[in-house]
Amino acid sequence: MTADVLTYPAHADHGHDATATQTFGFWLYIMTDCILFASIFATYAVLSHNYAGGPTGKELFNLRYVFGETMFLLFSSVTYGFAVLAMNRNARNQVVGWLILTFFLGLGFIGMEVNEFTHMVLEGHGPDRSGFLSAFFTLVGTHGTHVSFGLIWMAVMIYQVTNKGLTTPIRSRLMRLSMFWHFLDIVWIGVFTIVYLLGVM
Amino acid sequence: MTHGADNPLEHPEVQLANGRSYLLVYLFSCALLGAATWLVTRQAMTPIGLFLLTTALAGVVVVAQGVFLLHMEFSETQRWHTVSLVLFIPLFILTIGLSAWMFHGLYRRTMLMPEMPAPAAAAPAAAGMPSMPAMPGMQR
Repeated sequence: MTADVLTYPAHADHGHDATATQTFGFWLYIMTDCILFASIFATYAVLSHNYAGGPTGKELFNLRYVFGETMFLLFSSVTYGFAVLAMNRNARNQVVGWLILTFFLGLGFIGMEVNEFTHMVLEGHGPDRSGFLSAFFTLVGTHGTHVSFGLIWMAVMIYQVTNKGLTTPIRSRLMRLSMFWHFLDIVWIGVFTIVYLLGVM
Repeated sequence: MTHGADNPLEHPEVQLANGRSYLLVYLFSCALLGAATWLVTRQAMTPIGLFLLTTALAGVVVVAQGVFLLHMEFSETQRWHTVSLVLFIPLFILTIGLSAWMFHGLYRRTMLMPEMPAPAAAAPAAAGMPSMPAMPGMQR
């Protein structure tokens, strides 16, 4: 085998930019995250009627409250989209502004979820009460944990955009966070429908 | 790889961003999920009808969000994102469907079904064993 066979010229991969590769790699990570959620949804499907004498979803869930929580998360996807549009215009301050608004909407969602969990636990309906509640806390809590990590990531991005500006790596990270945030939005629609809406039927 | 040589602003994720579509899909999602919530709250239909309609409304919202927020389409740049998602969907359905089916069989053969009355607890009780409903952790 000759050396020129082993050499891979740097210009041979024109058309394959780093951002596209990174974005697709992150997309594949999101697909594996979907498998995690599929497993937890499956567990919930199995345990959703195992009340063990405890409360049912109909007795526990306040649909109006959870619908408000849902609106927080859905609107945060819109505001993140506006942050991407501002990035497209090179408007650094607007990017920071939209990211801060998105952060607080996400924080509102998490706050409402923590409030719901706290009330349930204080009333004796914690995750150890029944199979249904174990699955409920695991599914909703896993989504909430993802949103919380998304918020930490967003806080880091706000800091980086403020201090370093809209550099090429930062733009690339903002795009990946965009995919992550929209993905969590879509997963929540599944959680809201399967756990809450079907849970009170 | 050409690290640093590319311009993220030319990336389709950015190029496809559209403020009007973001707002429209938000309003659309609010309307459909609001309708589903209202229907469930009012118990406006039979349970099976409500189940099918609620699931269908959620499915439409998920597709709309996938198309307008995650840009799931078959353009040259987004094709493989969409293909990987489409290939994932059967895995998602199999994971949930097969798990539910397996545990349904398990419950039928080894455990008391939640909707079934406790059958003949007298047999183990007669043999000096605690009756099944008295055991800790047993489902209702």
